[in-house]
Amino acid sequence: MAKKQNNNVYDLRAAKDLYFEYLERGKEIKEIDLPPGTVKIDDLSRKEMLNRLYKLVDRVLEKIYTTGRPSIELPSRSSTNIIWDEENDLLLLGKQIMEKQFHSLTSVADITRLMRVLEVVYELLNEDIHATKREVFYTDVNLFQEQKNSDKSIEDAATMLYTTRNSTHIVAAPKGTCVGRLRIRDRNDIIDLEGLGSGGWTISPMLDNIEIIESDAEFILVIEKDAAMMRLAEARFWRKYPCILITAQGVGNVAVRMFLKRLSKELNLPVFSLVDSDPYGHYIHSVYLRGSKRLSYESPFLATPNIKLLGVLTRDLDKYKIPQEVRIKMNKQDEKRTKDLLNEDFLKKNKAWEDDLKLALKLKIKAEIQAFASHGFKFLTDKYLPEKLTTGDWI
Amino acid sequence: MRIFKKKDGGIVQLIDKDDMKEWPIELPLLFIEYIRNKQLESYGSAKKDVESYLDEIMTDVAIPGLVNVLEGDDNEKIILALTRIEEISKKDIEMAKPIKKYLNYLLEKNDKQIVNLAQIISKNFTNAERKKELAQKRKYMREKENLFLEGKISGEEYAKARKEYLTLKE
Repeated sequence: MAKKQNNNVYDLRAAKDLYFEYLERGKEIKEIDLPPGTVKIDDLSRKEMLNRLYKLVDRVLEKIYTTGRPSIELPSRSSTNIIWDEENDLLLLGKQIMEKQFHSLTSVADITRLMRVLEVVYELLNEDIHATKREVFYTDVNLFQEQKNSDKSIEDAATMLYTTRNSTHIVAAPKGTCVGRLRIRDRNDIIDLEGLGSGGWTISPMLDNIEIIESDAEFILVIEKDAAMMRLAEARFWRKYPCILITAQGVGNVAVRMFLKRLSKELNLPVFSLVDSDPYGHYIHSVYLRGSKRLSYESPFLATPNIKLLGVLTRDLDKYKIPQEVRIKMNKQDEKRTKDLLNEDFLKKNKAWEDDLKLALKLKIKAEIQAFASHGFKFLTDKYLPEKLTTGDWI
Repeated sequence: MRIFKKKDGGIVQLIDKDDMKEWPIELPLLFIEYIRNKQLESYGSAKKDVESYLDEIMTDVAIPGLVNVLEGDDNEKIILALTRIEEISKKDIEMAKPIKKYLNYLLEKNDKQIVNLAQIISKNFTNAERKKELAQKRKYMREKENLFLEGKISGEEYAKARKEYLTLKE
C-alpha cells in the first residue's frame, strides 16, 4: 500500500521500514522448507562435492559388478516435473526420476557426454580451479559437437549430484556488475565496491571464493539495463541513498542471481527491480523472483522471493506524465508474451502485478526506463526512484 | 553478520567473527586494518561499538590464529604468514604488534627464509620506533625554536636540543 508523501524530502521511509521488518524477521527465518514431492539440492564445498562424486562412481561400479548393465538415475528436468511452490513462490523440481542406460543406443551419446563432464568436474575440484561452460565444450569438441550438448550435460551432472552448478566449479562467463555500499572478500583480497569507479565490480562467477564482509546499505536495486545503471552510477546514487546496485544486462545469469540471493539473505536487505515496462522486463523480474524453468532444480539458491517490482510500471507512465511520443506501441509478440505471463500461476496470485500487465495489454503500450529522460537526465535519480522508495509504490 | 545501529537510523553490518576463523591467518588483521582506516569514520554513532568489535576480533580470532601458526612446526605456513605480516608491517606497524614477542623465537629457527623475514619485520619495528621518536623530537624541536625566537630560552639550550635532534635524524 502506497503511503502519502507530504513534503519533497525523500527519506526512503517505506524502503527503510521494509528493511527493519526483514531484519526482525531474519532472526526467525533461517531456511526454506521445501514442500514434499520436490527435490532438495545442496550447495556443497569442494570436499563435499568430491565425496558425492566418489559415491556416484561407487554406485555405477556396483551396478557393473552386480548386473553388468550399468545405468544412472537423475531427476527429470522436463516441464512435467517442474512444480510451482506457492508458499515460497519458487519453481522447483519434482521427484520424477529418469534412468540413463549405458547399453542403450538412444542414450549412449548422452551418457558418454555426461561421463566426460563428470571427469572434467573431478579434475576441476581436484585442482580447486573453475572453468566456464564454453571451456568445458572445448575440452572435447568432437564429443559434444555443439555447446548446447555440453551445457545440457553440465546441468544433468549437477542435477544428478543433487547440487548447484556452481558447486561443480563449472561457471558461466562473468556478465553482471555491482557497485555501491558493500565490501567483499575475494580469497585474500578485500574489495570495496564503492571505490571501483562507475564501472563497478564484475560479479565473479566463482562465488565460492566470495564472502560478504561489510555493508551499510539499506536496499538493493537490480537494474535491467546498462544505460540506466550508468545513469545511477554517474550520479553516485548510493552515496545519497545507501544502496547496492546490480545489473545483469538483461536476464541475470546464475552468478548474478546467486550473488543477489546471497546479498539479500545474508544482509536481510529489501530488493527492488527496475526493468523496462514491457513483457520482457516483467519476465526478467519474474526470473529473479521465482527462478527459471530451465534451472528449476537450483531455484532455492537462485531465486529472491522477496524482490519487489519497483518499476517501470504501466501505471507509472500516466502518473509521471511520460509523453506519448516516448511510449512504444506493443507488437503482436509483446501481446502474446504479456498474455503468456498473465497465464502463469504465480502471476495470477499477485493481483497488483496482474492489474498492471492487464493495463499494459489494454493500452497496448510499453516503455523503456530511458523514457524518463524526457523529463531530464536526472529525473530517474532525483525524483522517480527516491519518490517510489519513499512512498512504497511497488508491486 | 553483526549488526550495529546508528542513531540516525542507519545500520552497519560486519561479518561475524566466527566466520573469520576459516580465513587465511593474516586476513583478520587486514580486515581490522581496512575497517579502521577506511570505514570507521563513516560509522557515526556506531563507531565506538564497531571499535570494540574489532578489538574482539583481534583478541578472539586474529592473535590466536597467528600464534597457532607461528608456534607450530609447519615452516611453509610460517613463511606464508610472515610474508603477509611483513607486508602489513610496512603499511601499519601497529597491526603487526601481536607478533612482536615471537620474533626472537623465529630468529632462532633453522630456516633461512623464516629468519630473513623475521629480520625484516624486526627492522620494520625498529624503523617505526625511530620514526615515532623522531616525530616527537621534531615537535619538541619546533617548540624550542619558538621559545628561542621569543627569547625565552638561551642559544645554548636551543643548540643542545638541535644537536640531539640531528643526531637522532642521522
